[in-house]
Amino acid sequence: MSLQTATVLRSNTFRSSLLFSAAFIALLVLVNFALFNPGQVSVVVLSGLYQGMLFFLVSAGFSIVFGLLDVLNLAQGSFFMLGAYIGFAVYGSFPEGTPVWARFMAAIMAATLGGGLLGALTESALIRPLYARPVFQIVLTFGLGIVFTELVRAIYGPAGLIPIQPPAALDTTFPILGARFETYRVFIIVVGAVLMAAILLLLQRTRIGIIIRAGVQDSEMVQALGINIRRIFTLVFALGCAVAALGGITAAPYLGAFPSMGDQFLLSAVIVVVLGGMSSFEGTVIASILVGLTRATAEQISLQYLQTPVLASLSILLIMIVVLLVRPSGLFGREN
Amino acid sequence: MQTPGALYEQPNRASHKGFLPGILLAALLAPPLIAAIRGQAPPDVSGFEHFTRSLAEVACADGLNLVGSLYIAETILLGMLTAVAFAFPPGKHPVFTALRNQGALLSALLLLIAMPFVIAWGTDSSICERGKSFFWQSVFIEAFILAALAISYNLIFGFIGVISFGHAAFFGAGAYGVGLLIHHLEWPLGSAVLGALLVSVAMGVFVSVIALRIRGLYFAIFTLVFAEIFFVLAQNRIMVNITGAEDGFTFAVPDWINATKNRITFYYLGLAYLVGAFLLVRQIVNSPTGRVMHAIRDNEDRAIMLGYNTFTYKMLAIVLAGTLACGAGILRGLLNKGASPSVLSISFTMDPLLMTLIGGAGTFIGPVIGAFLLHLVEQALRDTVIPIAGIEINIGERWFLILGVIFIVIVIAFPTGIAGTLQSWWNKWTARRNARAPSR
Amino acid sequence: MPNILEVDEIYTDIGQFHILEGVSFQVPEGSVTVLLGRNGAGKTTTLRSIMGLWKPHRGRINYQGADLVGKPAYQIAQLGIGYVPEYRAIFRHLTVAENLRIAERKRGQLAERQRFIFDLFPDLERLYNWPGGQLSGGQQQMLAIARALVAENKLLLIDEPSEGLAPVLIEQMMQAIRQLSSHSTVLLVEQNFRVASQLADFYTIIEDGKSVHHGEIKQLLKEPDLIRRYLGAA
Repeated sequence: MSLQTATVLRSNTFRSSLLFSAAFIALLVLVNFALFNPGQVSVVVLSGLYQGMLFFLVSAGFSIVFGLLDVLNLAQGSFFMLGAYIGFAVYGSFPEGTPVWARFMAAIMAATLGGGLLGALTESALIRPLYARPVFQIVLTFGLGIVFTELVRAIYGPAGLIPIQPPAALDTTFPILGARFETYRVFIIVVGAVLMAAILLLLQRTRIGIIIRAGVQDSEMVQALGINIRRIFTLVFALGCAVAALGGITAAPYLGAFPSMGDQFLLSAVIVVVLGGMSSFEGTVIASILVGLTRATAEQISLQYLQTPVLASLSILLIMIVVLLVRPSGLFGREN
Repeated sequence: MQTPGALYEQPNRASHKGFLPGILLAALLAPPLIAAIRGQAPPDVSGFEHFTRSLAEVACADGLNLVGSLYIAETILLGMLTAVAFAFPPGKHPVFTALRNQGALLSALLLLIAMPFVIAWGTDSSICERGKSFFWQSVFIEAFILAALAISYNLIFGFIGVISFGHAAFFGAGAYGVGLLIHHLEWPLGSAVLGALLVSVAMGVFVSVIALRIRGLYFAIFTLVFAEIFFVLAQNRIMVNITGAEDGFTFAVPDWINATKNRITFYYLGLAYLVGAFLLVRQIVNSPTGRVMHAIRDNEDRAIMLGYNTFTYKMLAIVLAGTLACGAGILRGLLNKGASPSVLSISFTMDPLLMTLIGGAGTFIGPVIGAFLLHLVEQALRDTVIPIAGIEINIGERWFLILGVIFIVIVIAFPTGIAGTLQSWWNKWTARRNARAPSR
Repeated sequence: MPNILEVDEIYTDIGQFHILEGVSFQVPEGSVTVLLGRNGAGKTTTLRSIMGLWKPHRGRINYQGADLVGKPAYQIAQLGIGYVPEYRAIFRHLTVAENLRIAERKRGQLAERQRFIFDLFPDLERLYNWPGGQLSGGQQQMLAIARALVAENKLLLIDEPSEGLAPVLIEQMMQAIRQLSSHSTVLLVEQNFRVASQLADFYTIIEDGKSVHHGEIKQLLKEPDLIRRYLGAA
């Protein structure tokens, strides 16, 4: 029966994508165990997850925004950076003696809100007039990223700011199988995982989520049902920017804040989204972890054997080319 | 019905087509011929080198010598004739028509040919003197290279509507390719140039075959990543014995093209490359192939439905644009007698994109206008400080910020750039004037 | 019978193509009106112009005293117009339940109307939690119509409901449309003349982007020449 085959087919492609990703991750872990001692392996896995979460935070906005609006927001990286600077400014504006955790929470909240507001402004003032000219939208976000980066460079100088102090409980290291790992990086992993779950819930369980998923397929029909899709566009764009800004301030106590910090993650985030299959959010989630682990493994290998981190950036570039050759629409991509 | 004021595009009018180019050729050749006859090169060299040395010798004699004054006079004459042709549009004499269609462009070309002499005159020095004369010559050489790069970018972005974020890879391949072949394999200059160009052709085919299979943004992303790979590789410490890692490397070039010794030759070489690239792209776009490219840009689905193999046309444009960009990169490498990772960086993708957009994507002259404007303005204002609202802004330091803002304004308000906007104003103006004039 | 919708000389371009060049007709309240005409005559464009998905550059569309021309699609829908596009354009990655829920304009609307919808289309109750993409063609068509019934729409625009369906399913579909037409006015586009003639009270023939003939369907059935001339078949 045709209905039955269709069911099996669809779940099969999804399952095979999952299976492929799981096999890939297993392979990476095996490679790790073959090359390094258990302590190193656990550090590689944790730092892979940590990097993956940062990639996820920058690219989460990418895939939803791209799916719904068909806009590739190349300014996403600079929202990551802006989040860090907004957070630092708020953190510093408190008088001495305010408890660190309060300043820290305020910084995170202000950065997220600020990123969201800036995103909403960007969409309604700059992106909206260009829906008729899609090529110019990418070009515009590209230019916007430059403006944000240069603006921050002009105001705060090129050198970057000294990292802010996270709460004491997070500002330490813990032992793991004979190696040590920073607690703060685990905190970043937790923040990333919580956001993954929250966005998945939003997409699956709420009315807004239903509208977004419907809009990814056919935004015109959503309009014809009486829903103002333009408002949803703005909301989604703002959400993507808010998540990136949240990622920026979360990472900043560890990385510091400097004007080009977003650019470093932008390319990896783009690769994550392409690997995951552009408009598939589940794909982005899995691809970000996959890319993070790959990068961490390659980094460890090249540090140990080549004394330079060359493989780290090359590995993910090569993975993307290989995947595009084998599956042109990405791991979880849908052929139209 | 005559369509007036085709400022940039060359209408297909057969009669008197060769009139102005013929005059131009004569105008171009006369001064150096006279100079070469009067100059005296050492007897042991012959042929081409004899010609260039005699020319250089005469040209270097003083600031504004015979060659220079002849060129300047020619520029002024042609400029005035063109102005007259524009001021009296009803004149239908073929000479006027030819002047209106080509005069402005040819005057600009003559002006660029005369430019080293004008610079020497303005700075009260010889065209072969180091210092101001050399500095401004190199500024123009860089502008020629950037303009050629922008022209190549415009071929895919403006005429076929494909967006690439990896043009730097082709530009860098030129600089690195020619340098590596000369430095490590000790190839002669000619073979090295050819080798680098072949590499860029292969890169263009590779990128097209892989990334054009899926339409739209994948190509942009793929090219971004593709260029990044070269950038990462070139500056990595692992490659230090080959590419010199972050510092880059230098190589030796033959004397006649050595920009430190013989900058004026390089100046004309750069100009010739720019003119060649301009004519080549214009020829292609005005050909039947170009019309298919237009169709693809306007609506690819329809082009496919009409039976065109759009992949072939896109690949052709990408390979050709890549090769032209590679040529510009080769010139850049030869000019600096070296290559460093910066030629592979994102700024050599951003620059042509910006220049094309500002000048006018999809117009012939737009990228050239954009490149000259941006590069010359940057050089002229790099040390200028202007106070705005109590803050002192150093133009050179904030150049990228200023560019970014201009970029956004252009994208939103003037998507056709300077050339496109001027063209549409001109069309409106002449249409209004024709409506006013009594019909004859 | 007052007219719920009056389309007055609309002209619509798509890109450089002039698709509609003067379409006028009225839809009496409570009726089923069908737009007839050959492929490419402009029937779907007419529905999309009413819905605001394409903008007419001339003419007026009067819906209960409001001019629809120039209004964004979502506002037009909120005035009480439901749209069922051709090719069963449901959301394939959403479940049946979600496909219906997205059409709610007020909280709880679906719960209120659920019984009515399930009585019309019993299959949908059984398939409530299935992804729309896994439904059969006929079920998808039913879902598309059901989706337009969740909000209380006074006017339904239904485009080619019988297209690509097996004869048994066409009967079922006609049954459903007949039933819902007792609650709302229906403007139908239908290629299948047999289906159209059995469902509709009034017709408008569109030819090359112009409305060329109106009347009662009973009248049209008596004029085979007209049918052959404009529709190609009797």
